[in-house]
Amino acid sequence: MRPLEDIRRFFALLADEIYYVGQYLRRRRSVLPGEIVHQLYAMGYRSFPIIGLITFLIGITISLTSAAQLKMFGADIYLADLIGIAMINELVPLMAGIMLAGKIGASITAEIAAMKVTEELDALKTMGIVPEKFLMVPRLVAITLVVPLLVALADFVGIIGGVLVARFSLGTPVPVFVREVLAAVTLRDFLIGLGKTMVFGWAVVIAAGYKGFFMDRGPEGVGKATTESVVLSIALIIGLDCVFAFVLY
Amino acid sequence: MEIINVRDLDVGYGGTVVLRGMNFSIAQGRITAIIGASGSGKSTLLKTMIGLLPPLAGEIRLAGERIEFDSERCLGRLFRRIGVLYQNSALLGALTLYENVALPIRMHHPERPRSEERAAVRTMLDRVGLRDCEDKYPFELSGGMRKRAALARAMILKPELIFCDEPSAGLDPITSAGLDELLLELRTGHGVTFIVVTHELRSIARIADRVLVLRDGRIYHEGDCADILRSDDPYLREFFLRKTDHDH
Ligand SMILES: Nc1ncnc2c1ncn2[C@@H]1O[C@H](COP(=O)(O)OP(=O)(O)OP(=O)(O)O)[C@@H](O)[C@H]1O
Ligand SMILES: [Mg+2]
Repeated sequence: MRPLEDIRRFFALLADEIYYVGQYLRRRRSVLPGEIVHQLYAMGYRSFPIIGLITFLIGITISLTSAAQLKMFGADIYLADLIGIAMINELVPLMAGIMLAGKIGASITAEIAAMKVTEELDALKTMGIVPEKFLMVPRLVAITLVVPLLVALADFVGIIGGVLVARFSLGTPVPVFVREVLAAVTLRDFLIGLGKTMVFGWAVVIAAGYKGFFMDRGPEGVGKATTESVVLSIALIIGLDCVFAFVLY
Repeated sequence: MEIINVRDLDVGYGGTVVLRGMNFSIAQGRITAIIGASGSGKSTLLKTMIGLLPPLAGEIRLAGERIEFDSERCLGRLFRRIGVLYQNSALLGALTLYENVALPIRMHHPERPRSEERAAVRTMLDRVGLRDCEDKYPFELSGGMRKRAALARAMILKPELIFCDEPSAGLDPITSAGLDELLLELRTGHGVTFIVVTHELRSIARIADRVLVLRDGRIYHEGDCADILRSDDPYLREFFLRKTDHDH
């Protein structure tokens, strides 16, 4: 039963990684010093510009489509509520998750799979270094630190998109719109969005590691593993998002 | 004294057996050369001896203790005693040469002061003639330089056993001779045991105490280096003569 075995291996890796991160937080060993900062920088650099741009454009798109409808009912001001809730609860986590899969997940899989081809993973093992710890812990810690910043940035620029549309298409003054957003959106909404994005981020990194570590041997396997990693990550994100919707609403 | 004992060992991948029914032992403080045609299973045998590939049957004992391939702890003990030079070096591409060689120290002795680490790494890089390249990344080096750097990494924690997969492949004769001298010095001066896969007859003649010949999925011959070089077995003669012809 291949599929069952794959699922078992995925969850075994997830469990191992949670254990390794916990172990690392207690005793700072088995990971190169400076590697977390390096990963933080690489992840932020890779993901912030593109996720900022995407959420800004989505903010504008959703606002324009909704503004036309709301205007018909004279409910202009509710654009603020709609954008605030839609972006923070749903669109930012989903878009951020998908972009993380494409930018960060893909590069993690490619890196690990290439290391497998060049026997670097074997070399780590025989040096008594556990690759699943040495390579994954810095990336998991980094994604945990990157996600809150990313969510704050994406929420902000997404709502800016709404502000602009409200101002120029509906004529709603900026302070009025902002006040309405702040009234509509609670801390709970923000935390839900953050929590979801955090789960998606972890799903991306674990899926990326899984596809990298368990790829079939051979250089041509690297490209295949990378593609599969992105597909798996996106499928996981959408599946998890659906579970969240059931649980939360 | 024998440091490694191999009994009825079958090695291979999944269902396919590459080498079967092997019985041999490796003497401590000696250099054992493993030779055989390309694809005869030298790297596969090495992979099993260093704990990466579980054997299909049989057992390996390291200093009397059976290696349990499903026990992390047992493998950890094995890894602490060995250094490995991989066929394609396997330096970490993300780290500089210095960092690559320092990695085992940083991971296993994080408390060691930086100055001590620097001294150890530089001494090792000096020995393999790479002192000037310590800030380079592996992709900036030639194949032979990578090999030497990987050897420095394998030796940095002073393991008692070093496995080398074709250490001198792709090296010029002078560098290759230098490498051989290094191995001999470590063997004689520090009692390090070497298991070396190699094709180079000159190198075998220079360094090997024992030779293990693989052919047709089994051990074809095992014996003292001098005897094998003098042997009139047709296959061995052909193997070595071809090699020497090839060398010139
Ligand atoms: N990962 C693998 N999976 C399945 N079969 C493999 C694998 N690696 C090697 N083999 C097979 O095992 C046999 C022995 O290969 P091995 O790499 O041990 O040869 P070798 O003696 O080291 O050759 P060379 O001198 O070219 O390095 C070959 O027939 C090869 O096809
Ligand atoms: Mg080989």
